[in-house]
Order: sequence, then C-alpha cells, then structure tokens
Amino acid sequence: MADRTDLKAELERKKQRLAQIREEKKRKEEERKKKESEVQQRAEKATEESDLDRKRKETEDFLQSVGISPEPPLVPTPMSPSSQSVSTPSEVGSQESVDGGTVTRMRRLGASKIVQIDFMPKELVTYSKETQTPIAPNLSEGFFSFPTEEEEDEELPVVKTKPQSDEQEEEDPQETNKDLPRELTEEEKQQIVHSEDFLMFFDRSIRVMERALAEDSDIFFDYSGRDMEEREGETQAGLNMSFNRQFYDEQWSKHRVVTCLDWSPQFSELLVASYNANEDAPHEPDGVVLVWNMKFKKTTPEYIFHCQSSVMSVGFAQFHPNLVVGGTYSGQIVLWDNRSHRRTPVQRTPLSAAAHTHPVYCVNVVGTQNANNLITVSTDGKMCSWSLDMLSQPQESMELIYNKSKVVAVTGMAFPAGDVNNFVVGSEEGTVYTASRHGSKAGIGEMFEGHQGPVTGISCHNAMGPIDFSHLFTTSSFDWTVKLWSTKHNKPLYSFEDNADYVYDVMWSPVHPALFATVDGMGHLDLWNLNNDTEVPTASVTVEGSCALNRVRWASGGREVAAGDSEGHVWIYDVGEQLAVPHSEDWSRLARVLMEIRANTDGEQEGAIEVTG
Amino acid sequence: MEDYQTGEETAFVVDEVSTIVKEAVEGAIGENSYQQSRVKQWTNNVVEQCLSQLNKLGKPFKYIVTCIIMQKNGAGLQTACSCFWDNTTDGSCTVRWENKSMYCIVSVFGLAI
Repeated sequence: MADRTDLKAELERKKQRLAQIREEKKRKEEERKKKESEVQQRAEKATEESDLDRKRKETEDFLQSVGISPEPPLVPTPMSPSSQSVSTPSEVGSQESVDGGTVTRMRRLGASKIVQIDFMPKELVTYSKETQTPIAPNLSEGFFSFPTEEEEDEELPVVKTKPQSDEQEEEDPQETNKDLPRELTEEEKQQIVHSEDFLMFFDRSIRVMERALAEDSDIFFDYSGRDMEEREGETQAGLNMSFNRQFYDEQWSKHRVVTCLDWSPQFSELLVASYNANEDAPHEPDGVVLVWNMKFKKTTPEYIFHCQSSVMSVGFAQFHPNLVVGGTYSGQIVLWDNRSHRRTPVQRTPLSAAAHTHPVYCVNVVGTQNANNLITVSTDGKMCSWSLDMLSQPQESMELIYNKSKVVAVTGMAFPAGDVNNFVVGSEEGTVYTASRHGSKAGIGEMFEGHQGPVTGISCHNAMGPIDFSHLFTTSSFDWTVKLWSTKHNKPLYSFEDNADYVYDVMWSPVHPALFATVDGMGHLDLWNLNNDTEVPTASVTVEGSCALNRVRWASGGREVAAGDSEGHVWIYDVGEQLAVPHSEDWSRLARVLMEIRANTDGEQEGAIEVTG
Repeated sequence: MEDYQTGEETAFVVDEVSTIVKEAVEGAIGENSYQQSRVKQWTNNVVEQCLSQLNKLGKPFKYIVTCIIMQKNGAGLQTACSCFWDNTTDGSCTVRWENKSMYCIVSVFGLAI
C-alpha cells in the first residue's frame, strides 16, 4: 500500500511538473508570440514606414520638380530611428503611465480668483462761465439766472447747465414763432384802432400824407418841434445848403475871375456878375458883366455887357432898376442900361484926376429914392460921390487919410443898415477904419487893428429885428480869419479861425441876425450861425472843382447864396429853411452870445479901448 | 484638508510673501519721487530683491514676480489677472504701494513644483 501512496505522490509530482512545464511552455509560446507579433508589428511598421518613406520621397521629388521645397515631415520621424534600435516596450508603458499621471494631476487644477488692481483717475475739475447778450426779452431772463448757480457750486459740472439753457432757447423762439402769425380778432382790431397811441399816430400820419399828396416841399416837418432835437448832425447839414445851379457861359465866363456879384433889388431872380479880363482872348473886351436869371432854366445870361477895362465891382443901381453900375480897373465908373440894345456902357465917368485913377473896388448906391448917391472908393483912398444922372463929374470927392498922413488903400466898403453918412472900410494893410462922409469928422474916423493881412471883404449887419445890431460888422482877410467887430470897440469882438486858406469874402444874411457866409480860396462856402456855434461853421459846402471863391452874396430874401469863383462860375446854393429863416428869439440869443463873447474877450484883452460915437 | 496634508513648508504663504515684497519695495524706492531716469533701476531692484528673498525661503516653488511703477498724473489704471492652477498648492500675492508721486504694484505668483 505504501506503493499506492508513493505512486500517488509521484503521480501528483509529475502532474505538477507537467503543469509547470505546460505553463512555461505557454509562457514561452506567449513570449514567442509577442516577440513574433512585435517583430511582425515592427516589421509591418518598418514596411509601413518604408512604404511611407518611399511615398514621401516620391512626393518630395515631384514637389521639387515643381519647385516647392520639401516640408518637414509631420509624421514624427524620430519614430523611425527608434524603431531600428531595440526598444523596450517599457517606453510605451512608461508613456502610458506618464499620461495617466498628468491626467490625474490635471483633474486637481482650478482657476484662481481674479486679482484686480485699479487706480481711479484724478478728476479734473473745470469751470466755465459764459455771458450772452440778450437776443430777445424772453431769452435774456433765462440767461441771467444761470451765472448765480454756477458761482455757488464750483464743482457742478458745466455740462449740466448747458442743456438747460439750450432747452430754454428752443422754447422761446417757438413761442415767438407761435405769436407772430396769429391774426387779430375784430374786437382786438377795434380796440387798437381806438387806442390813444394809434390815434396819435394816425393823426400825424394823415397830415403827412395830405401834404405829400398836395405838394412837393418838406412834408415831414414837425411844427411841434419834437423832431428838431433828433435830426441834428449829418441830416441837418444836408438840408442846410443844397446846390441849386451854376451860371457859366462858354464864351463870356471862360477863364475869367468873378470879381463881383449883386442881386437885383427889384427882381429877386436877377443876379449880376462882373468878370475880369480873359488873358487867353486878348481881342475880347476886358470887362464883362453878365446878368443871370434864376427863374428860368436857360443857361445863357439875360444881358451881356462889355467894357474896355476889367470890371472890379458891379451893382444894380438901387433906385434905378434898369441901370447897372460898374467900377473898373482903370478907375472909370461905367453905367449900363438894359433898355438900350448896346452892350457897351451908356455912361462913363471921365478918366481924370477929379475922378478915380485907381481900381475901384467898391461901388454902392446909398440914400433914398429921391436923394441918392453913388459912392465909389478906389484903392488910392479916394472916395467920390456921384449922381447917377450925371457921371461926368463927381458931386463930391474926398481923400480917405488916416491921421492926416496915411492914405488908406481901400479894398472894401460897407454902409451899416440905414446909415448914409458913416461907413466902414477895409484896407490893404489889414486895418479897418470907420469913416463918415459929412459932418465935422468927415473922413477916416477910428482905426481898427486886428487883421494880419489885406482885408478882402467887409460886411455890415443888416438884418432888421427887435434888437439893433447895426454896430456889428465882419471882415475877411488873407490871414485866414474872419473877424467880428463892433464899431464901438477898436479891437475885434471875435475871430473865426476855421479856414485854412485866404478868406475872400464875407456877408451877413439880410434876414437872419446871426447868420453870415464866407468863402475861401479852397472852394469852401461856409455858413456861420453865431447862435449855433462860434467855433465852426454850421453848414459848409465845397464847390465842384474846388476853385477859389472870390465873392459871396446873399439873395435879398436870405434863402439863396451866390458864390463866384476864379474860373468864371457862379454857384447858387439854396439855404435850408431851418438855417436861413430866423426865429423871433434869434435876436435875443445873438445878444446873449455877444455878451458871452465880450465877457470872454474882456478877460483876455485888458487893453481894449472903448470907442464912443 | 489637503492643504495641511501637503505640509506647511510646501504651501504658498501669502503673508510671508507680502512682507518680503513690501520690504523689497521700501528698500528700492523708499520716499523718492518719480524720476524717469531712475524708474527702470527701481523696477529691476524690486524684482531682483523679491526673487532673492523668495528663493531664500527654500520652498519647492516656481516664482513669477512683476512690478509696475506708475507716475501719479491723474490717469486711471485698471488691471486684472487670473490663473489656472492647483488652488491647494499654488497662490499669488499682490502688493499695492504708493507715495506722493507714484504708485507701485508688485505681483508674485508661486507655482508648486
């Protein structure tokens, strides 16, 4: 039986050995299989890779033939060298294990909190303030309220206030737009028509329209005087003097200086002008006198008179409407009559020592209808008195000598209004003298010194009014000034120094007490109103061409002024109503002005000698 | 808590790092005012100082240090950063420092190895 156990043990050992051997065989077979499979795999891989390589090479060659460089192979070629070497599968395994490790680690990662840092910018506080002139009454109220808000809070952003103001702007124009096109109801219209403002306006407008329709003079004149204050300055200056017409004759006026002007006392539209010699036409008569007519539009003179010598002064014979008296350069006094058909003088004074031998610059008819004389003065100081009926010899003659020694070279003479005996003369030396024809003090009386140049024009005040200003006279001179004198003072009362050239003539207005006209060498015709301003002329005009104006004469009505220039033109200017027509208070105003002037000058000149008589 | 399990020595300690950074900034800039010529030097110093100090800690960490110096001129600044990491072991620390003329911002990121 021990044999059975021994046999069983032996059988079991053998079975175990067989199992081990089988297992080993299996393992070996498995290993072999693995090896073979790996080898096969590798071989396949190698073959695969070799196939791929071949294909790659083919494509590379193809691409190179085309011209494209071979790209780096995307398939990991390191695999191929590694495949040649005997690599352990452990690499693959390790890779797998590594991949497993990272996967596990990646599961533990998470996002962190966001770390933020910020710094606030510094806020620049700006402040702006605007002002706006009011566009309309509505808008101005809105704008005024804003500056106060802005002043209180400086930190208040300006942007906030702007939208508000914009809104207001939009609102207000809309409101005004809404108001305008709204038509008034009948009731409202009636209300307006009956309101006081409208009635007043309507009343005034009716008058203006009526006048406008009726006539063509200044319809806008307001008699209540309200407009006078507003219309001062430029507009008034335009109305003061306006050019009316000019008289010029191609044949007779050309190249001749207008030496004297006179208006006819009988026919206010007639104006006589005397001309001196025309040097360019030696065969023409030296002296020409033309009578012009203002009334009609014709441009030729009414009468043409000649004379052998230049006519220096001319005048209508005061009480003989048909006669024109002329004083000539030769000293002859000539008389023309417009009833005759002759152009030459009908009467002439003799060229003798009894009469004048020097140029006669002044001719004047003084007196009354029945007892009148022609007074003439020449530059040698001789004064003659004639009767117009007989010019063969003077009725009386007189030498004007000052202080029994000095002969007065008279350039101008003027008789005060209403006086036939006393008169004033201006001389070449610049002194002015009073003189008288008859009486105990016949001859030169007082001397008035003041001018620094020859006296060119002298004019006595002759506007008749409540106050008598006949002692006043003005003189113009080459010293650029016009002086106002009184026969009672031997120093000038006032000196007008606005001119910038020789002042050739001056004349008082025959109607306005404070108005006189001056002309100067620059072509200016100035009207001075002493009640208005004593420093500058109230109205001034420059004639066309700016020739020197030699003479100025007011028409007898005081509404027109005639000025003669050095080129033979006679310019007629209309003087505006406001300036020319005097008001009742103008006399008293002038008296006051004179008192002021006297007060000023008395302060300056203490050496003034009061002249009596 | 896995943080404690990993050990105190291998965690990112924010306070410690911020102390280091503050010291570094103070040392480099101090009370100086902004000067264009020296700013570059300052940023370099800050970063180097921070890194050296962090290394002395001896922890197994990768460090990233950034430093920004901005002049106080009234401009505003806004930055933000976020990280994708292991929240248990990694951490960051940002220190804001300023004086009258400039701002200084230092950020330290620590990533456990």
